[in-house]
Amino acid sequence: MAGVESPERREHLFKVLVIGDLGVGKTSIIKRYVHQLFSQHYRATIGVDFALKVIHWDRRTLVRLQLWDIAGQERFGNMTRVYYKEALGAFVVFDVSRSSTFEAVSKWKHDLDSKVHLPNGGPIPAILLANKCDQNKETSRQTHSHLDQFCKESGFVGWFETSAKDNINIDEAARSLVEHILSNYKSFHAEENDVGTVKLDQAALQAESKSQCC
Amino acid sequence: MSCSDDSAKEKLLWNVKKEVKQIMEEAVTRKFVHEDSSHIIALCGVVEACLLHLLKRRAAGFLRSDKIAALFTKVGKTCATAGDICKKVQELQQQAEGRKNPSNGQESLKRQGSTASRPPKLTPQALKHIWVRTALIEKVLDRIVQYIVDNWSKYYERESLMADPVCGPILAALLVGPCALEYTKLKTADHYWTDPSADELVQRHRIHGTHSRQGQDSPSKRPALGIKKRHSSGSASEDKFAASAREYVESLHQNSRTHLLYGKNNVMVQPKEGMEPLPGYLSLHQSAESLTLKWTPNQLMNGTLGDSELEKSVYWDYALIVPISQIVCIHCHQQPDAGGTLVLVSQDGIQRPPLHFPQGGHLLAFLSCLENGLLPRGQLEPPLWSQRGKGKVFPRLRKRNSTNKSVDLEENFDDEMAADYVFRIICAGHRHGNITINYHHLAASRSISVDDDEEEEDRLHAMLSMICSRNLTAPNPMKGTGDRIDTHGLSTSLLPWQLTEYCSQGSSCLSCSSGSSPYDIPSCCSCIHDRTPLKMLCENMKRQIVSRAFYGWIAYCRHLSTVRTHLSALVNHSIIPPDKPLDASGGLTKEVWSKYQKDMKNYKELELLRLVYYGGVSHDIRKEVWPFLLGHYKFGSTKKEMDRVDEVIASKYQRVMAEWKACEVIVKRREKASHSAILVKFSSGSSIDSHVQHLIHQDSTISNDVFMSSDEMDSSDRDMKGQGDPVLTVLGGGTPPLVVAAVEQQQQSVEFDSPDSGLPSSRNYSVTSCMLSSIDEGQSVCFDDGVELGSSTESERTELSIGLSRKTQSRTKTQDTFTEEQLCCQMDCLRTEEDIFSICPTSYTIELLDTVALNLHRIDKDVQRCDRNYWYFTAANLEKLRNIMCSYVWEHLDIGYVQGMCDLLAPLMVVLDNDQLAYSCFTQLMKRMSQNFPSGGAMDIHFANMRSLIQILDSELFELMQQNGDYTHFYFCYRWFLLDFKRELLYEDVFAVWEVIWAARHISSAHFVLFIALALVEVYREIIRDNNMDFTDIIKFFNEMAEHHDAQLILRIARELVSKVQMLIDNK
Repeated sequence: MAGVESPERREHLFKVLVIGDLGVGKTSIIKRYVHQLFSQHYRATIGVDFALKVIHWDRRTLVRLQLWDIAGQERFGNMTRVYYKEALGAFVVFDVSRSSTFEAVSKWKHDLDSKVHLPNGGPIPAILLANKCDQNKETSRQTHSHLDQFCKESGFVGWFETSAKDNINIDEAARSLVEHILSNYKSFHAEENDVGTVKLDQAALQAESKSQCC
Repeated sequence: MSCSDDSAKEKLLWNVKKEVKQIMEEAVTRKFVHEDSSHIIALCGVVEACLLHLLKRRAAGFLRSDKIAALFTKVGKTCATAGDICKKVQELQQQAEGRKNPSNGQESLKRQGSTASRPPKLTPQALKHIWVRTALIEKVLDRIVQYIVDNWSKYYERESLMADPVCGPILAALLVGPCALEYTKLKTADHYWTDPSADELVQRHRIHGTHSRQGQDSPSKRPALGIKKRHSSGSASEDKFAASAREYVESLHQNSRTHLLYGKNNVMVQPKEGMEPLPGYLSLHQSAESLTLKWTPNQLMNGTLGDSELEKSVYWDYALIVPISQIVCIHCHQQPDAGGTLVLVSQDGIQRPPLHFPQGGHLLAFLSCLENGLLPRGQLEPPLWSQRGKGKVFPRLRKRNSTNKSVDLEENFDDEMAADYVFRIICAGHRHGNITINYHHLAASRSISVDDDEEEEDRLHAMLSMICSRNLTAPNPMKGTGDRIDTHGLSTSLLPWQLTEYCSQGSSCLSCSSGSSPYDIPSCCSCIHDRTPLKMLCENMKRQIVSRAFYGWIAYCRHLSTVRTHLSALVNHSIIPPDKPLDASGGLTKEVWSKYQKDMKNYKELELLRLVYYGGVSHDIRKEVWPFLLGHYKFGSTKKEMDRVDEVIASKYQRVMAEWKACEVIVKRREKASHSAILVKFSSGSSIDSHVQHLIHQDSTISNDVFMSSDEMDSSDRDMKGQGDPVLTVLGGGTPPLVVAAVEQQQQSVEFDSPDSGLPSSRNYSVTSCMLSSIDEGQSVCFDDGVELGSSTESERTELSIGLSRKTQSRTKTQDTFTEEQLCCQMDCLRTEEDIFSICPTSYTIELLDTVALNLHRIDKDVQRCDRNYWYFTAANLEKLRNIMCSYVWEHLDIGYVQGMCDLLAPLMVVLDNDQLAYSCFTQLMKRMSQNFPSGGAMDIHFANMRSLIQILDSELFELMQQNGDYTHFYFCYRWFLLDFKRELLYEDVFAVWEVIWAARHISSAHFVLFIALALVEVYREIIRDNNMDFTDIIKFFNEMAEHHDAQLILRIARELVSKVQMLIDNK
């Protein structure tokens, strides 16, 4: 058939986790990102909530981010393992106005890395979000470099100062995560077979169905 | 060859039907179809496949790369509509080509499929199917196809689908619907990329899903042990009919379970003698197991009647539903000017009302569809003839070379016109449905005992004799016809435990042998007139049935015994009915309640609870009744006793409040100090590295940690038991002076600017600094009542220790040992912090203060955002909520605050609107609910019970859950159990459900929540099944459905489920 070689529009479904201590603003970040609004009226998340963000990445790529908003105090045994399953990326959120939430970041990251891996066994890309930056007006350059170093040491692919309230850096953070996921995806599938789009498309389908079924 | 052609055509057509259905569904549920919808592309694809089927080479033209383009261009020459489309497509292509590559604009036809980059308007898929797609969106595709069908000879081979006198017109007709839709680009594309919402799924289910309620479940389904999974109608047969009317009309459409083989409107039937013939819709439906003919009067089809009218309409009496399996002969009469008439004759010789087809080959078309539908198991005898170019024609009987078909035709067959025919329907072999033992029926209605072996044996006998009487004992007539029994066929096809719907036709042996019409041939008597010794074969078959029945029986008994062991603990064994002594559906009303209050002696607790269980509590008396239901008051207590209870609670509440508020003051100060220290550190920047190092190297010792594995959890629990209580003692009793003393001791040794001390993880520092600050203020820390810290603690010391004395009595003796241990442990944690020289017993309080601080913080976070949209939760009431929560948590620091507790307290506050009462009731409620929180083990037990229940009550769904990534861990029910469905329902419904849960403990089951969960799953089971939901889907679905459930329906089903499990266990 004639249409086979044409670069068809590719659709991806990526499962992305949003984790971090309770009350750091995970739900707010998601609502801001997906629905472009901020409200004081979210309830504490119990278990998990979902949101879907559709990104028209480029002319040929459509990305659907399935955001898993996981309760900050979710401690029930094996359940987070199930929640994490097949995730391809993660945001770890802390609240800059509360240092204990930053302490917890390492634990969340550790938890994440111990429970979910990329198909090649590596850790899934995770981005650190220093949320509520609207409440901490002045952050020093030193803090920045320290956070850079912290990310390096803890295996975060990057960090952003965000504010769901003032809509700061959230789109940027998401874009950066999707870039990482896409490049992982491409390198992974390039390793498997460096043939053309047909096989890639099939692989995409497989990846999709994989990520959908937990 | 013609057979494979036919099946190819059928397949093509079937694909079209499927896609048409999809697109119509999208149109209905979304109110529009987006131009980029994948359904359009899919439909275009399957239509093209039909159009390409045996297209003449000539018509395909020279442009081999795109035959469709060639066809359209060719058709466009004679058909104006198609011509318009040609122009339109060319314009579009030029636009597309022009945009991306102006120099290359003319080669559009060849290149359209392989455009290297996408024009802004059309997706590559859209370009690929540009011809059909354009025709569809211009709403003329049906007309063009009709035109091609009418003039097929120019373009198609004779055997092609388009040339087929049946398939061709059907294709055109199928496309009428999609050509009437509105296609739009106006809505955003995102709309399309999002998954269907839960609401949409439910709506779709209402549109087409209802048919499955009729029990046409998949054949592989295992028996349901008598628990029917129909949501609405467990016992009520009357509402079955209510649903069935709409269901029936919907069942006429194509759906996932049945294929619509034939449909024709305005087929006339004279339902009764002396009545005018009525026009109606004749349809032929094929499901996995059966072929059914339906005729429905137009009055029922038009949709002009409302649901209620529809149900009552007299026309229901006239509608025909004829399983083809019951039909042995078809008489056809054709009149040259008046179409054809068809009479169905069933096994018993009864003729169905004649069906009168309009003129124009419809009768033949119907027969041809019927013949196809009978395949592979059955056939028309004589078969229709296939004629090149014309498709199916009536057989020319004269030429037939049959030898033994003397009964084929009626004697008075008019051979001049050959206008009247009689067709037999012959079903070869597999008609074992009639020997199938209806497991469901047996299992359910007879409810077998396993405990009693003798009884079991009796029942086995009874069952076997039933089987025999149904199918085997009619030896005389069988002998009479001397039918051969196909034992081989039997042994391969007999699946006695298969659940089928055929039990009603179990008499076909009888009918077969009744002499008049040996046409309907079940496998046990294939009516081939061989004379083999029947008796022997009968015996043989009997033996097989017996052995199969036996093994199935054993399996079933084992299954049932498992069921019993699993389920018996879940329900109370005594059944308390809804209608004795009187109907309880009215619930506990104000009248009943005031009668009770006046005359307590004559009211039994259980009777009141029964009212609550079956009918709920009137809202205006909830405030009074709930404390009883929750165990704050005892039923039957006098006013005096109740007052005493209240007094005790009030004083306890005040005391606890004072305790934690005292602690809170210290925590607050400490936080303030450490916060400023951190700020200093943060801005100085020197600490973050070491901080990071700490985080990496140092394990947390916070007891409320999120990341504990279950092992750690256990050990920490042990720790709590071993060490936690002394900690409490120290604080509750004599700590504050000690703290002060310790701080004074340390004052010199601790330095503010020590490298690690400012870090949040460095507890000793932070606590010390807090203490320092309190010291600095010169002992002026005051409680709310203004008593000075030192003296107030002294004075309260004895009082406070009363509450804790019970816990600590045994432990105080060993306190010294604990101190030692604590010390070592503390040393370990802090070995990096060398500047801390002396560690004193106050480290207990440090731990405790940490815990309290953590819990207070969590409580504050959640209280702030607890149901802020609900009118009750004003700032003042949120403050009360916080007080109650803190009091509870203070008393249960070992569990601590866990998210969700606020959700459990909030409805109690709304109803009771009294701090002390809410505090007490919440404490009572938490006795059960705290087990669900991480430290208790109830959640796992709930999940395990859910697993057993679903496995037993709805094995089909259970299997589906396993297949779709196995979410039989039931984590999607987590929130339900954690919060007693509080987040799933609106406030009003939460009240109603909660009181039933509380009452259920005494009435039917202490695990009523399980049955509510089960009811929730069952209510949506068809949606879950039809959409093949996996874990993500189902958790998403129920998240979205939150607060959209019909609580009363769910409660009703839950109660029914309980009583069914009770019945099952009680063997009643």
